[in-house]
Amino acid sequence: MRTDRSWTEDGPVAVVATGVADVGALLTFRRAGLRAGARRRLRIGAGLVLGLTVAAIVVPALLRAPLDGRRVGDLVAVLPSVYLGFAVLTVVAAISSGGGRELLPRDQAVAFPVSALTEHLGALVLAPLNVAWLIQAWALLGTTTYVLGPRHLAAAVVPLLLWIAVATAFGQLVGWGFEGLRRGPHGALVTRSIVAVVAAGGVGLVLGGRTTDLLDRSPTVEVYLAAAAATGGLWWHWLIAVLLLGGLLVLLALAGGIPARWALKRPQREELRLESGHREPGPNPRSDLAAMIRLDRASIWRAVPLRRGLLVLGLMPGAVALAGELTWDLVTILPGLVASGGALLFGVNTWCLDGAGALWRDSLPVDPKVAFLAKVVVLFEVLLVAGALTIALAAVRAGAPSSAELASVLLATIVVAAQVVATSLRWSVRSPYAVNLRSARATPAPPVVMAGYSARLAAKTTVVGLIFSGTSLAADWRAAALVAVPLLCWSAYRLVGTAEAWAHPVVRARVVATVSG
Amino acid sequence: MGDIKVRGLRVRFGTVEAVRGIDVTAYGGRATALLGRNGAGKSTTMRVLAGVVPPTAGTVVVDGIDVVADPLRTKRRTGYCPDVGGLVPRATPWEHLQLAARLRRLEDWEDRGRDLLERFELGDAAHRVTGGFSHGMGRRLSVVLAAFHEPPVLLLDEPFDGVDPLGVDATQQVIREAKARGAAVLVSTHLRDLAVEACEDALVLRGGSAVAGMDAAELVGEAGARAYRSLLD
Repeated sequence: MRTDRSWTEDGPVAVVATGVADVGALLTFRRAGLRAGARRRLRIGAGLVLGLTVAAIVVPALLRAPLDGRRVGDLVAVLPSVYLGFAVLTVVAAISSGGGRELLPRDQAVAFPVSALTEHLGALVLAPLNVAWLIQAWALLGTTTYVLGPRHLAAAVVPLLLWIAVATAFGQLVGWGFEGLRRGPHGALVTRSIVAVVAAGGVGLVLGGRTTDLLDRSPTVEVYLAAAAATGGLWWHWLIAVLLLGGLLVLLALAGGIPARWALKRPQREELRLESGHREPGPNPRSDLAAMIRLDRASIWRAVPLRRGLLVLGLMPGAVALAGELTWDLVTILPGLVASGGALLFGVNTWCLDGAGALWRDSLPVDPKVAFLAKVVVLFEVLLVAGALTIALAAVRAGAPSSAELASVLLATIVVAAQVVATSLRWSVRSPYAVNLRSARATPAPPVVMAGYSARLAAKTTVVGLIFSGTSLAADWRAAALVAVPLLCWSAYRLVGTAEAWAHPVVRARVVATVSG
Repeated sequence: MGDIKVRGLRVRFGTVEAVRGIDVTAYGGRATALLGRNGAGKSTTMRVLAGVVPPTAGTVVVDGIDVVADPLRTKRRTGYCPDVGGLVPRATPWEHLQLAARLRRLEDWEDRGRDLLERFELGDAAHRVTGGFSHGMGRRLSVVLAAFHEPPVLLLDEPFDGVDPLGVDATQQVIREAKARGAAVLVSTHLRDLAVEACEDALVLRGGSAVAGMDAAELVGEAGARAYRSLLD
């Protein structure tokens, strides 16, 4: 019995209609699983995103006159690069998430005939549920509307919104293609070679000083010209651009189904290799804590999405700092972004590392506080390692730091890691989820919840990063230490509170029973 | 050695009462089958005995230890095979044994660990992560982990589920050995025939309550099957 529609037998319209209808059905299914409180939070969150999007469009446009168009010339020059940067972000996000997030986890979807097109369209729908995507989109909209001003704003913003959608669909298409390559023979070697070539090309451009020339020739300038055409009343130009972008969007959105089908049909070689490979046993652990930590470390570094995510997190912000030649006062913001991203890989639902083994682990005779401490240690060390990698890359072009700058960056890394660990463990105990982190597309919590987590973590860590950015400008390094001590104490206090909650048998039983599935 | 005494056990999850006043008595050197339909309260009872889920009410004494007063000592005295999964997906069987041996303070455990893995035909998979295991392999390893430290109380929740005949034989052998050394064994299962083969006593649960306690022999054959079915409805 055929469960999937075929392009040749049913026609493309029927296939697409079914794919779209199935996405709607899956979204309804996911929504039905939410409790009343979660639905209320979802409505509030959606309203907030919509409100902030409108604000990102309208407020900068209205500020143009009061600010007397200050720095408009500089901003116009960088807008094509901003548009291009957004596309790069969507590509990286899609690649690092193995083609895109799952609308329905793979193990739950096996009973349903979910087509590759539905998987692709679902991933496309979920792509904006990412704080990096949202912030970049708002920055793109706000910067452009500030440059253009309020005249014909509604029309001017149409090409921008279309570009955001086009870039996202493009990222998805590339992401699936990359995932298909990764799942092929020698996939890891092929994809790593591609990444190495692209990285080497990027480094070459930066070191050769040709980045600006290249960005100035970016075709994304047409997006700005289309938006500006509306402001200037050049309606034919605007209309043609809108139609082209709209057509491109439909084309890319549908074309993404082809590499998605190709990728999803291929075996998950990396996952299978990890699962079937021989693991040389280490010596017997010397303490309870060491034994617990060893198992947790194995759970992290043997998971494809976690390995890949941590590598991307460690390298990408550092690469951006390297390319942008960030100064030390701005480098202080990066550890927060890295720590937030690291927590979103597994930390916000830390006990999911144990998966179905959580019940067995909890049946072992060990103080619950030791089990808790093991999770704290592994999460903290992962965030510190990724943060250190980022800082090391940023340091290449940031020059020799002053003592205040060095202290600020190092303490910012430690403080945000502690802050993120404390927050993540609290969420892990309060709201556990049963998830299988086997697939590169898996997330430790449902996509909507992840969006909320990422927004809150990004807001918190960015504020701390900005505070340390301020201390890096101080004359004395002790200013950073003075800021760090109370923040670390606060995180420690929160951690102790969560450890006490975890030690309570009823709370612990709820967590382990939930993550065990 | 290894007696289990449960009186008036109640377990509530929010508004749902999973266990509604169950009494269980199991003695060292004997195996007791916990039988019943899905949702009867078997697994929740096992989790309470393993010290993983705290009881809402009632007294639970395992090998002379009150599980509420001293859950850590209870966990030292029990070996638990959970009903679902029970394995850390990205750790190997050997790493599971290493963790269990460390936390249970076992010395020179390696030979016994190897022997158990071989008996359950997991020797070749000892150093592969369990995420790639079949369901049956996972069940067999869970039984190994429960029996590894020769506990006075052995709690096996659905140990035969999806397990091949050789794995079933190995599990039955583990149960016989546990009884021979005086351990109390509690086996929760849907498979009446296997339960009858392994156990001397049986307790049938329905809707979170115990509806009958009997000699397992009473559940043998067609007559036993009819008697069992009548207790389920």
